[in-house]
Amino acid sequence: MRRAPSTVVVQRGVFTIVISLVVVLVAFPIARLAQTVWAETDGDLSWILGSAGLVTAVRNTLLLAAVVTVVAVPSGALLALALRRADVPGRGFFRVAVLLPILVPDFVLAYSWTQAYGPAGFTDSMTGLGWDGVRGPVGVAVVVAVNAVPLAYLVTAVGLASRAEPDLERAARVSGAGAWTALRTVTVPLLRPALAAAGVLVFVLTLGTFAIPQVMGAPAGFTTVTTRIYANLSLGGDSASFVEAVTLALLLVVLAGSVVVPADALLGPRLRVRRQAVAEGSVTASAGRAPGRWIAAGLGCYLLATVGLPLLALVAAAVTRAVGLPPAPSNWTTDNFREVMTARTFEALTRSLWLAVTAASLLTLLGACVAVLERRRSGRPLSSMVTLTLVLPGSTLAVALLISYGRWLANTLAIILLAYLAKLWAFAHRPVSGALDRLPPDEVQAARASGASALTAVRTVALRPLLPALMAAWFICFLTALHEVTMSSLLYGPGSETLAVVVLNSQELGGIGPTAALSVLLTLLLAVPAALFWVLLRVVRVPETDPSPEVVPHVA
Amino acid sequence: MSPDPALVMRNLSVEYDGRAALRSVDLTVSQGEVLALLGPSGAGKSTALHVVAGFHAPATGEIYINGELVASPSYLEVPNRRDVAVVFQNYALWPHMSALDTVAYPVRRRGLSRSSAQAEAMEILDRLNIAHLAHRRPSELSGGEQQRVGLARALARRASLYLFDEPTAHLDSHLRVVFLEEMVSRLRASGAAALYSTHDAEEALGLADRVALLHDGRVVQVGTPQQVYDEPADAWVARLTGPASVISSPAGPGHVLVRPDWAYLGGPLEGRLLKVWFRGPHSDHLVESRFGTLLLREPGPPAHRAGQRVSWGLRRSWPVGGGEDQAETEDQISSSFAGPE
Repeated sequence: MRRAPSTVVVQRGVFTIVISLVVVLVAFPIARLAQTVWAETDGDLSWILGSAGLVTAVRNTLLLAAVVTVVAVPSGALLALALRRADVPGRGFFRVAVLLPILVPDFVLAYSWTQAYGPAGFTDSMTGLGWDGVRGPVGVAVVVAVNAVPLAYLVTAVGLASRAEPDLERAARVSGAGAWTALRTVTVPLLRPALAAAGVLVFVLTLGTFAIPQVMGAPAGFTTVTTRIYANLSLGGDSASFVEAVTLALLLVVLAGSVVVPADALLGPRLRVRRQAVAEGSVTASAGRAPGRWIAAGLGCYLLATVGLPLLALVAAAVTRAVGLPPAPSNWTTDNFREVMTARTFEALTRSLWLAVTAASLLTLLGACVAVLERRRSGRPLSSMVTLTLVLPGSTLAVALLISYGRWLANTLAIILLAYLAKLWAFAHRPVSGALDRLPPDEVQAARASGASALTAVRTVALRPLLPALMAAWFICFLTALHEVTMSSLLYGPGSETLAVVVLNSQELGGIGPTAALSVLLTLLLAVPAALFWVLLRVVRVPETDPSPEVVPHVA
Repeated sequence: MSPDPALVMRNLSVEYDGRAALRSVDLTVSQGEVLALLGPSGAGKSTALHVVAGFHAPATGEIYINGELVASPSYLEVPNRRDVAVVFQNYALWPHMSALDTVAYPVRRRGLSRSSAQAEAMEILDRLNIAHLAHRRPSELSGGEQQRVGLARALARRASLYLFDEPTAHLDSHLRVVFLEEMVSRLRASGAAALYSTHDAEEALGLADRVALLHDGRVVQVGTPQQVYDEPADAWVARLTGPASVISSPAGPGHVLVRPDWAYLGGPLEGRLLKVWFRGPHSDHLVESRFGTLLLREPGPPAHRAGQRVSWGLRRSWPVGGGEDQAETEDQISSSFAGPE
């Protein structure tokens, strides 16, 4: 289709800007990383196998990713199946609550677990049951899995809603299949692409996970690729550790890529949503409320054990006068909070907020740009690239940016901002892209046919339905940027620590009380905007076309 | 064959989110009978089928299939243990299964081996003349083909009661006729009973032994197609079952319902022609008179033009209660003529 020249100019301009940003933020740094590794080692990478510590780190990382995937994906799928049943009391609450583990910063969650279940921790002091292994590989695996379950849940829940319509399962039941047979022969096969996608995502994100192994594994001598990069760059100052760090960073992205690229080629076409998520709900009625109540009880216990108790222990540690004292009111104090409310903390807080707001605003714009551009044929490779940054390990990105722009930007907030933009671009892109997919194209066309210019049509007709998605994009980026530490901890310098970095450093060096107090503060800092966002989203939610009552049975 | 009726719904009420979807419904389907549930969308047709199939629980009342209690507020039989088969509006074919596997599915659930289930499925596909589609998946089938596979799957269940949930709603009109023919003949051959939901009056009147009219979750009238067409319980039923005008009775007090073919031109009454439509085999005339405005149908092309004075008469009429339709406008008549939506 030929378009008027002015439209073409605007489109080309935006396209050029976006493509240059992708090059500057991602493509060039990664290329520079590869080139540096090549130059530093003259292409001889055989020494890698000679370094026992490095081989161990790689082995630990792969093992961790495998174990976490095997645990988290079925758990997430079970959650999605359980929360689809209409007879679970408090279903609306649980649907939000199961996402809590990703809302709580991962290093706070990890630290909370050590405070809850570790020796001299909450359960130890209350019941004498302490778990020595909480700091170590098993503890790391458990908490990384807990952290990954919500993601697996979200991916399978979307898969359930878009592929496994209730009617498909009803057809199985009314063909004579029992509940389990229907699950085995219809639901699970339909979910297979979503389960595979969840597996790939969890595996790759676990490869790049940093904070939990750093907080729970490093003290016990359990190293992963990411924690070794951190150790090499922040502790070791010699050129050998630098070479090892860049090599590991490259290795990490190669590992991630070798999983994602074939998986994307294989799964991509099968995952494209064929139809809108039209309906959800119970497949069949069940007499009595007993099974639903049991599910709710199980969910409650799960949430209590994974998030509730650890956060409670964290708060207890923050308000208790000294380590080891029982968290009784007589031992309560605000000293820990007063101790951490320093000028340095406030500066870090200001920096974190500034970074998060700037990053979120720029990212929403960039995400929307890519979402619009990908609708044109020429924009599709662009969206694939942006989507791939989702699985680009943060450690790799940070090292690559440091090599590429460190000369000018080292120890500044600017390089941290660049890292956030590169890493979170996909986070901003996905919600907007999804909302655009659901936007009926004829609505904008109808506006154009009613005499609106392209800009007016978008402003008057498309913007309102897109608003929740734009807001979601902004808040997801804002919240993620606020608790990002993987990249921040590698890129910060004197005068550019973020609050999350302050908390992480305190967890490594500081006392338990003040660290717990800082962790509580950071979590509150996240919880307040998250709650605000939750309320806002309800306000701006686009009114659905009132479903005719005949449709209600499918929705109910 | 069971001596009991194929289906009994007794005082059945169903709620969704506290909203009544069915209110005290009493319906019986005899063995071998086809009962059409006719109503506009939102009347509760799908709800009725869902609750019979076991996808939803009733709030009050009981359901008996072949004399066996399957649902009451205190007892609920699961769908797979009810003697029913369902043909879904959106086909509900499993995207990961071929037509053969789909049709073999209910056979397998009866405990047959894989090979004998496939053999039986092939036989059914063959009977429906779609054996050549056996190895295709739903994405490779047209809408009409998908619905035939859906019918084949239901037949493979060998149920004594078939539930059809607006099976032709997504089919083009020419496919609709073919599918209905096929479906009715298979159904009659199997001797099974059927509950057939539709919003299409022509479809309901044409295929059912009896028609039940649903309005806002209530059964308004049950009767043979002839009964509900000729002797509708009220003006609402009259409009739903075909074009109808309500005028004040020329023979006395009260109002009467007049189907277009019950009135004729050249009778004893006076009127003025408001509009004329040429419809091919017949012509429709909108006539204004002192009894009200009515729609009148004559075979062949129109002999008069709009604005002309005409005389007209009634072959028959049917008294309806309530005068609320007295001030019926031309728009309402035209839209009721276009058929219920």
